[in-house]
Amino acid sequence: MKKMMRGLFLLGALAGAAYAARSYLQGGSPAKETVQIVFDDGSARSLASNTVEGQEFTDIAQKIVEIGL
Amino acid sequence: MAERSGAGTTEELDRVLADLRALSVDIESCAVLSGARDLLSSSHGPGVDRERVGAMLAALVNLSERVARENGKDHTSQLRIDTEGGHLLLVRLDDGGVLAATTGPEARVGLVLYDMRNSRAEVEKVLAEGSDG
Repeated sequence: MKKMMRGLFLLGALAGAAYAARSYLQGGSPAKETVQIVFDDGSARSLASNTVEGQEFTDIAQKIVEIGL
Repeated sequence: MAERSGAGTTEELDRVLADLRALSVDIESCAVLSGARDLLSSSHGPGVDRERVGAMLAALVNLSERVARENGKDHTSQLRIDTEGGHLLLVRLDDGGVLAATTGPEARVGLVLYDMRNSRAEVEKVLAEGSDG
């Protein structure tokens, strides 16, 4: 029983390490650029730049920040 | 700096934006885009960059309005975009235009937005007086 638990633990650790390595190699870290939209009724919505919608905003914003207003 | 409005309005808008920059030192550049998507005041002089900035700001405003509609809202009142190079902040004006500003990446964005919201009333007042006269 003890051996089986140890085996399961090692298997879990290996799977976790493999997943972490895969995420790192694929650049799977959270998006650094974000978009926050506040609507007229006070509600808000956030878009991450790794979404298609968010990317549209950040592409334009990056250029504006670069050249200034 | 400003164009497409009366000389008095131009000077007044420039003054309001200069006051905003003096108050909020984290602001690197700022501009006013009208509801008709004309760039009324900007740090850039007349030329390619100014037209480009006006078009890009207009595109962002249109995008944000589209998101508002998709979410069942009337319009967007504030937009904050964080990029690696800095932040782009937009505050909506009464006529559908925007007061826009850029900051560096380390800026105190909440404070800048607070100052922008306070300056919005003054920008609206100048635009209203300009359209009356």
